[in-house]
Amino acid sequence: MLFPTLDFAIFFLPVLVLVWTVGQASNEWRKIILLLASWIFYGAWDWRFVSLLIGSAAINWSIAQAVHARAEAGGSVQPWLGIGVAANLGILAFFKYFGFFLEELAPILMAAGFGRDLPLLEIILPVGISFFTFQGMSYLIDIARGHTKPASFLDITLLMSFFPHLVAGPIVRASHLVPQFQAVPKLTRSMVAASLILIIWGLFKKAVVANELAIGLVDKAFFDPAAQTGLDLLAGAYGYAVQIYCDFSAYSDMAVGLAGLLGYRFPRNFDQPYRAASLQDFWRRWHISLSSWLRDYLYISLGGNRGGVWFVCRNLMITMLLGGFWHGAKWTFLIWGGLHGGVLAIERLWREWRPSSAAFLPRPLAILFIFHVVVAGWIFFRADTLAGALAYFAELAALRPGVALTTPLIAGLIGFGLAIHFTPPALLPALARRVAAWPAPLTGLVAGLAILIIDTMRGDGVAAFIYYQF
Amino acid sequence: MADRFDSPVDVATELPGMALPGLAQMAVAVGIAAFGLLLLNAHALADWAGALEPVPRTAPIVNAADYLAEQTAARGLDRPRAALKSFWDDVKAARWPHEALPQDQRKKL
Repeated sequence: MLFPTLDFAIFFLPVLVLVWTVGQASNEWRKIILLLASWIFYGAWDWRFVSLLIGSAAINWSIAQAVHARAEAGGSVQPWLGIGVAANLGILAFFKYFGFFLEELAPILMAAGFGRDLPLLEIILPVGISFFTFQGMSYLIDIARGHTKPASFLDITLLMSFFPHLVAGPIVRASHLVPQFQAVPKLTRSMVAASLILIIWGLFKKAVVANELAIGLVDKAFFDPAAQTGLDLLAGAYGYAVQIYCDFSAYSDMAVGLAGLLGYRFPRNFDQPYRAASLQDFWRRWHISLSSWLRDYLYISLGGNRGGVWFVCRNLMITMLLGGFWHGAKWTFLIWGGLHGGVLAIERLWREWRPSSAAFLPRPLAILFIFHVVVAGWIFFRADTLAGALAYFAELAALRPGVALTTPLIAGLIGFGLAIHFTPPALLPALARRVAAWPAPLTGLVAGLAILIIDTMRGDGVAAFIYYQF
Repeated sequence: MADRFDSPVDVATELPGMALPGLAQMAVAVGIAAFGLLLLNAHALADWAGALEPVPRTAPIVNAADYLAEQTAARGLDRPRAALKSFWDDVKAARWPHEALPQDQRKKL
């Protein structure tokens, strides 16, 4: 069930009514309604994996109780924490990486005569597994560190199953969401206004910008780079940068907006990432909930900024390689992570050893340079195989003349997708404050018209969000 | 990397002198938006209903959605969407000036 579909609207409106009617009488009932709705939402994709969701929540809840009990008794929490982290990683590894390792090991096993014993398992990847396992792990680590208290089984199950963030984030931590679950939410006019704006803005970015770029340009450019001109391949690379931003940030915006209408606050996940003047700055603006997760639970655990500069570079590299691997078991994701880790390390070395006479790059040039580093990384990220990514670079360098895929509309959408990174950062709050002051019928009328326009502009059907596969 | 928890829906405290509280504001706004879309975009609902599994229990939904689409179309309520669609199709079909030229002239550019 995708957010920008009528299926989802028909699912969401009754949930909204139930939550604010039946749920007003009792906060427990509100959570039970949300939990059942979340399971229906997840079950619409594949009912079998609802039990995985419940099982994962049960494991994390029970281990969190054990970790907390050990901590209260003054004992070491490490054994239980280790079991909990291993259980989460085990679930993730089985569904996400088993096939990859089997494929990579197959030639060795075949050579050793074990080929006929290789299991023929076609493992289906449960949607959103990377997100809810990371949520489970952060909950356990926060309990062990004393950053949060154990929550009830209902709260933890709802935290991990809550449908707005279930399949593609943002990664919401227990310390942020559980206290919200424990109180009766209040809805303010400004929260309603901001939520409606985010939902409509997300719909536009996904259904119009990302979809049009994917169908009209990016899919064709990456499918067969040898058949495209140099300009189209360049536009394809820029187009994918805009597509993935508009696709993923649209999901986050809609998730934040939907949760907002239900009375809950989700964290910001994007902050105009392509206006970053360094790669470190980019990661402060892109998929913020993942980058802060990696920082708090991986980078700091590895030693963080302690130790010498080479030690810090090593930590950056490991963090980004694992961040790449989190996206999927493919060499292209590892190279993408390695590229980001490498450039982050170079930035660190440059800050450490920059000659005092060396001039700073003017900010517009730094933004342009970092944008192109990110675009180069996206080519690896988008290509199906490593050979496909290398072929894309080779064909791009061939600079065949002409233009076929890049229509005026496509060029306009790329320009639009980049231009929105340079609007004032306070635009949304300013607009939300203005809309909050409108009479409710006017808000409804404008929202309805905006959705009508978006629905008219979008093509037939909506492709799944890119981050569904992770 | 980021170290903050701020939410995009944290905009401001309530402004004074507003007629409806947040919940009522949402109920009216969402209700009007949904009603407006039912009238101006009824064919989308009919398309959705048409894609349902053709079994007896879905027949009333399909009939109701088709009826609504016919009635709104008969009153001209589908025209704004049709006009928008036509405009957007023109935008999508637009090509660069040299592409609109005949093939032999295009080669010279």
